[in-house]
Amino acid sequence: MSFEGVRRRGAAAVERVGDPAERFTNPVHEARTAAILGIALAVAFTACFTTGVLSHLIQNPPSWFAWPSRPAGFYRITQGVHVTTGLASVPLLLAKLWVVYPHFTALPPVRSVGHFFARLALLPLVGGAVFLMVSGVANVARWYPWTFFFPRAHFWAAWITIGALVVHVGVQWATSRAALRRAAVAERNPILVRATSGERRGFLAGVAGAVGLVWVATSGGTVAVLSPLSALAQRRPEDGPQGLPVNKTAVGAGTEELADDPTWALLVEGRVDTPLRLTAADLAALPQRSATLPIACVEGWSASARWTGVPVRDLLALAGAAGDAEVRVESADDSLYGRSDLNRSHAADPDTLLALLVNDEPLHPDHGAPLRLIGPNRPGVMQTKWVTRLVVR
Amino acid sequence: MSGAPAPTAPAGPVRAGRAPWVGAIVGVPIMGYGLRGVFVDAASTKPAELGRWLVGGALVHDLVLVPLVLVAGWVLHRVVRAGPTRSVLTWCLATSGVLALVAWPFVRGYGRQASNPSLLARDYARGLAVYIAVVWAVGAVVLVAETVRRRRSGPPRSGRRAREAAPPASVEATPVVSDGV
Repeated sequence: MSFEGVRRRGAAAVERVGDPAERFTNPVHEARTAAILGIALAVAFTACFTTGVLSHLIQNPPSWFAWPSRPAGFYRITQGVHVTTGLASVPLLLAKLWVVYPHFTALPPVRSVGHFFARLALLPLVGGAVFLMVSGVANVARWYPWTFFFPRAHFWAAWITIGALVVHVGVQWATSRAALRRAAVAERNPILVRATSGERRGFLAGVAGAVGLVWVATSGGTVAVLSPLSALAQRRPEDGPQGLPVNKTAVGAGTEELADDPTWALLVEGRVDTPLRLTAADLAALPQRSATLPIACVEGWSASARWTGVPVRDLLALAGAAGDAEVRVESADDSLYGRSDLNRSHAADPDTLLALLVNDEPLHPDHGAPLRLIGPNRPGVMQTKWVTRLVVR
Repeated sequence: MSGAPAPTAPAGPVRAGRAPWVGAIVGVPIMGYGLRGVFVDAASTKPAELGRWLVGGALVHDLVLVPLVLVAGWVLHRVVRAGPTRSVLTWCLATSGVLALVAWPFVRGYGRQASNPSLLARDYARGLAVYIAVVWAVGAVVLVAETVRRRRSGPPRSGRRAREAAPPASVEATPVVSDGV
């Protein structure tokens, strides 16, 4: 029997998804393929959602949440997972939606009240998933073709999408289980379905290949060994002033003259016994400490360097701050990310530095000259540059 | 709405059971929390604009992207006979398309900043071209391997030659990609 004959027989034996499946002749438009892709997407979405919510909590900590300063490279991993998984999910989502597309044209469009609500829940699911991927990719490419504030829109859309995903998993639970079990039965009696399961495996292998290619092409900013292969990554980890990438430049922040400003000095104020005013020379005269720490951007890239400067906790001790002090770090850059908070754990960590040097050179203006915050396990946006003041609380 | 039937799974004969209710009871409040967040945070999220993006994403996918793919598949069906060639072509076209989609904002360089050369630092058009070339090269290799395998498993010819032409075991497992729509 010809390949085509077996394929057609098998295809007829496979349960089709939805009415107008007659027009969709490819046998992968069926429940088992959909279930397998659905499971992969659910895992990817859960990873993105968890790491995304975590990043949001770190940047907007509620009273019950205290992000520790250790392990030093943990945030670079969680956020790397967020961005690389999100990008690699693009082919997965497109494949899944294509497999179930016959449902979109199914007749009659609504079969029952339950079916109506199940279909209604697909709008926030599909719209949300597409939006999260489009906006995430655009953000990584620093493209903002909208007026809303990306982090908030992405965050709240993620809650809507993940809620819709839970609804969808409930609706499809029985179908998917049956499809997965039925295939197990069929594998014991393989002759009838061999051709179609071959089609399915081929399709899934093709999707996996596309996922792998997108992952390799885009992950080099996070996974350093992939960088030479990652032709589509937004950064090279070694590319930028002093061999380090930059997100906000001194020109962008209007702080390019700060390092040459003779009136610049660091103020340490707030809940302290002795407020301090320290010039660059004063800071350089204090005991210095070096630490190798990554800049880990929320956009997924990260790069390590050796930073040298004064530990924040030494300055707190010098000013006579309490042992449980928390600190607001303020910058000459008065934009949204021109300040960040050090919780108790971060303020007390010996490697949380106000750095004067990177890789033993004075900071480039784009890296925050004359003085920047750099600490372990912090998002890049919270490594405040062009520091002017510590407010102890 | 007591007495309303539980949402039935579209496959038909499978009984949905309790799972849809569990999903709705857990999922709807999560959606509600997200929706509430959009409006509480309205100054940042611009609900009307965000709503257009959320609905627009689904509509653009369902009414523009998929129909284009379907047309491409239909044309492929007309032009190429069913078989490994068509399957491999399908995979190459689809994967090239996905790569182009992901690469688009990078290739166009919408986010470039003159003051920040470390941002979008690569030649993305060239990178995309290289990746698409790799996709088609992989496709060609799979096709050659598949042709060799078929010739071998066809009516026996001079046995020794066919055995020598046999691909390595890993190629045996290389599946035929789905063909057409």
